[in-house]
Amino acid sequence: MHLPTKVLLGAAFLCVSTVAQAELTWEKIELEQSPPPGAESAVFAFQYQNKGDKPIHISNVRTSCGCTTAALKKNDVAPGEKGEIVATLKIGDHSGLQQKTVTVDTDDTAHPQTILTLKATVTQFLELQPALVYWQANEDPKPKTIVAKAGKGVTMKSLEVTSSAPEFTTKVEPGSTAGEFKINVTPRDTAHQLNANLSIKPDSAAGAGTKVFTATARVMPLVMPPPTPAPTTAPKA
Amino acid sequence: MKFVWRTLGLLVGAVFVFAGLTKIVDFQPFRFLDPMELARDIDNYKILPWTLSVWLALYLPWLEILCGLALIFRRLYSGAIALVLGLMIVFIGASLAAKARGIDITCGCFGHVSDQLSFAWHMVLDFAILGALVGLWFCGRRPQSEPAETPL
Amino acid sequence: MRSLLRQSLLLLGLACLPAAGQALYFHDKVSWQSRIAEADMIEVDLARSWGVEAIWIDARPAVDFDRDHVPGAILLNEDRWNELLPQFLQEQWSPEKKIVVYCSSESCNLAGDVARRLRDEAKLPNQIRVLKGGWEGWLKTRK
Repeated sequence: MHLPTKVLLGAAFLCVSTVAQAELTWEKIELEQSPPPGAESAVFAFQYQNKGDKPIHISNVRTSCGCTTAALKKNDVAPGEKGEIVATLKIGDHSGLQQKTVTVDTDDTAHPQTILTLKATVTQFLELQPALVYWQANEDPKPKTIVAKAGKGVTMKSLEVTSSAPEFTTKVEPGSTAGEFKINVTPRDTAHQLNANLSIKPDSAAGAGTKVFTATARVMPLVMPPPTPAPTTAPKA
Repeated sequence: MKFVWRTLGLLVGAVFVFAGLTKIVDFQPFRFLDPMELARDIDNYKILPWTLSVWLALYLPWLEILCGLALIFRRLYSGAIALVLGLMIVFIGASLAAKARGIDITCGCFGHVSDQLSFAWHMVLDFAILGALVGLWFCGRRPQSEPAETPL
Repeated sequence: MRSLLRQSLLLLGLACLPAAGQALYFHDKVSWQSRIAEADMIEVDLARSWGVEAIWIDARPAVDFDRDHVPGAILLNEDRWNELLPQFLQEQWSPEKKIVVYCSSESCNLAGDVARRLRDEAKLPNQIRVLKGGWEGWLKTRK
């Protein structure tokens, strides 16, 4: 082949290869939501489209933590084809802002890797403050209070509290605002070590289902001071 | 009419002094609040880098208090109105942007005192203050029957 | 207009003074680089030196904890907070002990979140610290 022909063919090849490009574009690479209180997971759908002329192969999708899973229906995206990656964030008992990422690897030379961000502001169904009430050994067995506050958007009319140990008695009173309750906990005595789980169940209308929340009540054991060594007396001469 | 604007200025000034104070102190029981709590609230918007959130958490409440006092005592009056107008526009913008993004985050406008307010009521309060400030800017700054305030 | 600018700048400048005072007052709490205050963090060597006076808490997911963890550490993560917290409070917690919380590395937020919840929600009276460098930092010094 003549050199000029080779050059022309090479140039033509380059032009074709640059014109026929892949381009995976995303509708949004960051999604946010506020799941309802008590939600177990939050689902995020990241929409994409291949706006290029070449098919794109999505080689890998990985999440920043085990709490997030990402599902992809198919790895190959034809030109013009749309699709989505569905990321599910397991909320568990987290609270506050949760921010996780999903990394998508493709053979798109322009953007071989895209990081998708999902953010969820999690409100717990019920907040207990404090989650623990305790008395030191022989402390005056006065009642101590746990404040149970319903999460934003939760309507709670009553609470049922049961202690795993009968030595602790509980009394529920309405709090200072709607959705707030005071749980007064009293030990029978503080002469002995005592432990109890306080099971707290919101009323059925609140929508917590069978979920039970737990606070802890304890009377601490008496901590014996270390024995003082007996004084040694020098033998008499 | 002069009385109305004076009273409005006093009220708005008091609101800003209160807003600033609730970010710095807790009244029940009385204690100085850790500025990192406010920094975390600001950081939760994920608009600014962490360091800037800390700067704002330390600086913003004092600016609010000073501007509020300036409105109450009618010193540095125009400057105070301009600054709090700017602050309100930013607060409202950030809250609306967060809401549009689907985030329900305490706006931090009145510290944790305003945690019980719904988003709608927050906006009502914020727009009311904004309206009052606009009124003060155009009508309350320099009453026609009185000489201009002493510029500082 | 100049008067307006002068007044605004004066107010902006004056506000710096009490802000600086507050920063000084809270100098041990203010952390410019990360969400966790410097005073709430602890070096690995110092934490180790606490010996039996300290309770170690692993804030990582269970699968990481099961693979390896600081000897004697207790799993307490936010995934199963409502289940693990009461267990910890019943069985291992004591008001006299110090608590060291760790997660995978310096950049991991989990330990800070668990420490904050122990302090603010559970209202534990203990001295609670986040391990600098996390599990990775511990591994580097493991003998």
